[in-house]
Amino acid sequence: MAEAGLHVRLRQLTPVPLDVEVHCAAGEVLAIFGPSGSGKTSILRAIAGLATVAAGHVRVDGTTWLDTTSGIDLPPHRRAVGVVFQEYALFPHLDVRQNVMIALWHRPRAERRARADALLDTLRLADRAERPIADLSGGERQRVAVARALARDPQVLLLDEPFAALDRKLRRQLQDEIDDIRASLSIPVVLVTHDFGDVVRLASHLLLLHEGRAVASGPLHALASRADLPWLRDQVGLGSVIDAVVHAVDATRGLATLASAVGTLVAPSGSLVAGMAVRVRIPAREVILASEAPSGLSLHNVMAGTVLGSVDDEATGTVAVQVGLGSGVVLAEVTRDAIARLGIAPGRSIHALVKSVSLEVRRTQGHT
Amino acid sequence: MRGDEGGGRRSSQRWRCGSLVGAALAVAVAMAQAQPPAPVVAAASDLSTALPEIAAQFTRETGDRVQFVFGSSGTLARQVRDGAPFELYLSADETYVADLASAGLTRDGGVLYAIGRLVLFAPTGSPLVPSRGVDDLRRLLTERRLTRFAMANPTHAPYGRAAEAVLRGRGLWAQLQPSIVLGENVSQAAQFAVTGNAVGGLIAYSLALAPGLRDRGTFALVPDTGHPALRQRMVRLARAGPVAERFYRYLQGPHARAVFERSGFALPR
Amino acid sequence: MDWSALQVSLSLGVCTVVLLLPAGIAAGHWLATHRFRGQALVEALVAVPLILPPTVLGYYLLTLFGARSPLGAAFERLVGQALPFSFAGLVVASAIANIPFVVQPIQRGFEAVPPEVREAAACCGLSPWQRFRLVDLPLAWPAVLTAAILTFAHTLGEFGVVLMVGGNLPGRTRTLSIAIYDRMQAFDDRGAATMAAVLLAVAVTTLVLTSLLAPGRARRG
Repeated sequence: MAEAGLHVRLRQLTPVPLDVEVHCAAGEVLAIFGPSGSGKTSILRAIAGLATVAAGHVRVDGTTWLDTTSGIDLPPHRRAVGVVFQEYALFPHLDVRQNVMIALWHRPRAERRARADALLDTLRLADRAERPIADLSGGERQRVAVARALARDPQVLLLDEPFAALDRKLRRQLQDEIDDIRASLSIPVVLVTHDFGDVVRLASHLLLLHEGRAVASGPLHALASRADLPWLRDQVGLGSVIDAVVHAVDATRGLATLASAVGTLVAPSGSLVAGMAVRVRIPAREVILASEAPSGLSLHNVMAGTVLGSVDDEATGTVAVQVGLGSGVVLAEVTRDAIARLGIAPGRSIHALVKSVSLEVRRTQGHT
Repeated sequence: MRGDEGGGRRSSQRWRCGSLVGAALAVAVAMAQAQPPAPVVAAASDLSTALPEIAAQFTRETGDRVQFVFGSSGTLARQVRDGAPFELYLSADETYVADLASAGLTRDGGVLYAIGRLVLFAPTGSPLVPSRGVDDLRRLLTERRLTRFAMANPTHAPYGRAAEAVLRGRGLWAQLQPSIVLGENVSQAAQFAVTGNAVGGLIAYSLALAPGLRDRGTFALVPDTGHPALRQRMVRLARAGPVAERFYRYLQGPHARAVFERSGFALPR
Repeated sequence: MDWSALQVSLSLGVCTVVLLLPAGIAAGHWLATHRFRGQALVEALVAVPLILPPTVLGYYLLTLFGARSPLGAAFERLVGQALPFSFAGLVVASAIANIPFVVQPIQRGFEAVPPEVREAAACCGLSPWQRFRLVDLPLAWPAVLTAAILTFAHTLGEFGVVLMVGGNLPGRTRTLSIAIYDRMQAFDDRGAATMAAVLLAVAVTTLVLTSLLAPGRARRG
């Protein structure tokens, strides 16, 4: 039976050491996160066919693109792969529409222009269709690169640090757009980045890469609620990532209530609307533990739960505590002294306290 | 044209521009190839005024045309050996003709058509006085007024060999070495002689009489006892066609001989 | 003014360009997009005609293809005419002498295409031939035109090789630059001056055209 999705196994020593296994199902967004030189781009290039590996295989929806044992190595133009390059690599001698149409050779001639215009519409580039690339801003170029990658009707979408060259505001805008597109596709998406904000915003699954090897991999929620990833803590800081739905918005008080696996969360209403799907990151540092529910505090989020476990870090003298709330997990980072004073141990009842403003909330398209 | 997804607008503009230019110039190609096949006559440089005059009359009388390539006799002979498509060869020296004949490249041994003469030439304003003969060079050497002196290259030009013989005979060859300028053929030697950087040169009589040189200096004949005779021989080459044949005979006719005589050649018996 | 000499010169230029350009494009693209052992040697060989004295080239062509050589005799039997002293011989000599003028600018033109753009083209589903036709060639086109114009201009100025291999046959191998030399030897200064002016005008026009096509000005991108 043909396996759906992307299955990759790569092993080599030079030029970049790699020893990974990568799986991504249709509709999932796998973020490969790691420092520069860890081999993230090499993995992407191997999937696209731009680089070959000493040993391994790449299989997509049952089709083999690469298999070193049987000598199969399809060149990139025979792989239905859409790639958004870090520097976009647009064709400078063609205008916007032509850049997109050049990836449409596999479609009948009569359809190409219509399909290109449809893609440009989706990416809000319809009024720039005849402009030369040189006239475009960074954000517009990025959208053209995405349109071109999608024009290929790819079986896999690869994004190589797609927002690296953009400022914060543009970055957020384009993350939203990519998420919108992702939701309408049902193909595996692999995103390579060294910015954890991209991961939180877009990924459903995460692979942590360090010197060519996977430190950890799995669904984002699960990884984000693990207390035993010092590597992740050192790179970005610990914090659980939770998907939620906006239950109600109180405009007068400026607050929104979110329904999630860890219970009800209260966050500043911002631009949230009832019914909206959101993703919430709760930085572990912002979580306070209390043996009983306090009163007289400005906190809006006081949640009762149970200690599931903790991991000590000798170097920093802090402890990461996993607190089970509802059917989810929240991480809290506290001192060893706090552990002793409160008598925190697995099984103990505990309250987790978070300021509403400490919650990092972003609208999403929802993840399956 | 699939301009849409193919090259951008500016690229296709350049395609058109490039092709137009190419097409326009390609006309030159066609034109250059369609040449009327007038036979090519290889002739020694000393004939560069006499021969065109003879050929003009030949064309007026018969309607046939010939084309000329002038050069040093030795170079032309080598080109014949390398397969140059000449039909007639007018040499300034018979030995070249004899060599080609023995190599089987000619119809026969050819015929003597003229005897060449060497002159000492000095451009206007030069300290050299040709009427005093070649020995005047010795005076210039003593007075340190000898800048440069021109002659044809002895290795492949008969007039050069004659000039060397004359200078050696007068004992001037060694002393003149540092000042000698060699022309690739006797025409080039004449050019060097007249340009003013040289005090003069040993060149062909026919060239000294030519319109280009006649009024630009003075000259005097060098006694022909001072060098081997410049016996100028002409021959039909293997691929000589009917027009070349006619011209060959015409060159031996009365009109041609008259022109040779006027132009500074002596006629053979 | 010797019009047939001008025709021969122009034809020689056009024929040389037409003969060399396709090969130059292929070679320039190959050298720009591949890495192989011995590449430095190949590039050095391409550059040899730049420093080769024209008389050396003329000597070897005459020796290899002259009527006295077996190769030349065979050629003459086959085609009916020797290679030296023919227009075809000039084209051969000119083509060899112009190899670096064609290959080097074109190679630089293809090298200027960012490798990422080529990779993107592959990921857009374009086969190697399509990548060449739709991406590489349009981007390198100004360099190709520059190479063509430079080669044409350089051919017009050739003298030593043309004289040795061509033999100065009027209407066939007497180019404009040789005709100037010819006229001077015949003391026809006026004729020589006219033709020199024509050649100078062509050279200047060539330089102007080349700078107009220079990549910095041609593409805004």
